[in-house]
Amino acid sequence: MSTKILEFTFTGANVAVALLIFTMAGCSRAPKPTVKKIPANAEFSGFFKSYANLKPVEGMDGALGYAATDAQKNLHKYIACVIDPVEVYLASNADDAKLTESTRSAATEYFRAALVKSVSGAYPVVEQAGPLVLRLRSAVVGVDFGGEADTVNIGKVRIEMELLNSETGEQIATLVDKESLGDGTEIGSGNPARQEKWAAARRAFDGWADRVRDFLNASNELSAEDADRADKSYQPYGAVAVAAK
Amino acid sequence: MKNALLSFVALMSTSGMFAAQPAETFHAYADSDICARLMLGPITESRVGCSLSTVKDGANPVLIRLQNNLVLDVNKKKMIDPLVGQFLLATGEVKAKNGTMKLAEVSPQQAKDIPAGDPARKLLDARTYKTDAKLHEKIRHELAMMPYISEFDFISFSLMGSDLILTGWTVRDTNRSEAYNRVKNIEGVTSVVNNIDVLPLGSNDMQIRAGARAQLQQSLSRYFWGSGSDIKIVVKNGDIILLGSVSTKADSDIAFIKCNSVQGAFHVFNLLRVVNQVKSAEKTQRPGSKTNVHKNT
Repeated sequence: MSTKILEFTFTGANVAVALLIFTMAGCSRAPKPTVKKIPANAEFSGFFKSYANLKPVEGMDGALGYAATDAQKNLHKYIACVIDPVEVYLASNADDAKLTESTRSAATEYFRAALVKSVSGAYPVVEQAGPLVLRLRSAVVGVDFGGEADTVNIGKVRIEMELLNSETGEQIATLVDKESLGDGTEIGSGNPARQEKWAAARRAFDGWADRVRDFLNASNELSAEDADRADKSYQPYGAVAVAAK
Repeated sequence: MKNALLSFVALMSTSGMFAAQPAETFHAYADSDICARLMLGPITESRVGCSLSTVKDGANPVLIRLQNNLVLDVNKKKMIDPLVGQFLLATGEVKAKNGTMKLAEVSPQQAKDIPAGDPARKLLDARTYKTDAKLHEKIRHELAMMPYISEFDFISFSLMGSDLILTGWTVRDTNRSEAYNRVKNIEGVTSVVNNIDVLPLGSNDMQIRAGARAQLQQSLSRYFWGSGSDIKIVVKNGDIILLGSVSTKADSDIAFIKCNSVQGAFHVFNLLRVVNQVKSAEKTQRPGSKTNVHKNT
């Protein structure tokens, strides 16, 4: 009898533990997004671990970038990427209480979708980190507020993006894009009068995402030496041409 | 309800939905799925060598309908397994759209049994592939210069006159379209068939890719450079296909042994070319030798 009671109690405890784990798992699945601020008078937001080695990107006005050239640790060594949720950094003097969750999520989710669309051609987007997989972190930096309530001004926004080894966290490439694509655009809270400006904001996000892809394309271009070696190395396995007479 | 179901089945049968395909008999070549998709073209000694070695290593046997290069996955693999590397007369129901065949009967035959002038002789005659060497080189160069080709991609092609067939494997879907876009407008190319297979990026295959590259870089580092390598590691559903070139037979063997030690890999198919031996093979033409794989036809 006592054994049965013990078993029942034990089972009940199991259920309680399972419920607790389930609840905790549910909580951990949807962490509350944090909104950070650019430190006063700082050149960069602090989103990257390191801003070392940044230099102007050839052919991309307003962009600073870095791509590792180490033979073992460059972009060519990866074939897929995971894309993290986009983070937001407010301008130093912005009042963070003004940023509503709906506005933040509208902007960041749209930009993440634009990044997925743009980057997947270069690095297919996968769900999980692992070998040969990059982690793409990005932030919309310098967000301020518009003249009207619940509107966000992205006129002075810049994009910071870094690619890390998804297993070790090692930095492989970085991009700080100061191109002002968002001039005069605002993200509102669903006010029909703001639709036009939201459309302009979407174009700006699409533009920044396209520039991320441009940066990846430029970084993946073959050096003259590598192009020569690739050309010499490549031979198809199909039928070999016989010169026509 | 039962009557309605029977009526529906009867209607579908008369409309042809469940109708069996008529059996047909045709000249075929028993190949491995790897060589069939990689080396579309004439049935040379090197092709036969590839077929035999890859099936021996575990590749699936398939039939090639000689008339049009169609690769057919058959239901009764055991029937063709001992006939790989040979010409056959095959009878069965072909579903060309799916690339499958319900095999009824096969019998081996000799190439000479195929009558002269029969369209099935097309694949036997290297002259079918007579084309402009400059055109071949232009296509080869364009494909070699693709920026997102990694150690894990291999794109090959066959050129029959001005008709181009792209084959091979890639981990990036965009490489498939990029290859097509690069070659479609080359002067002299009139049609392009794109048979490039896009590989899945499942976590097991990714582990195998990383493991194989690490093993090969450790032992054969001279074949790897900043943005690519002479050795290509194609991984599909746990199988590793080694392609590209090395300079000695010993290096080819090392690559094979190292890849066999990669955790999670089921089979390793060694199709590496030994560059020095290719040159000598062109002179000696040893039948069935792997080094013949790329000899000129």
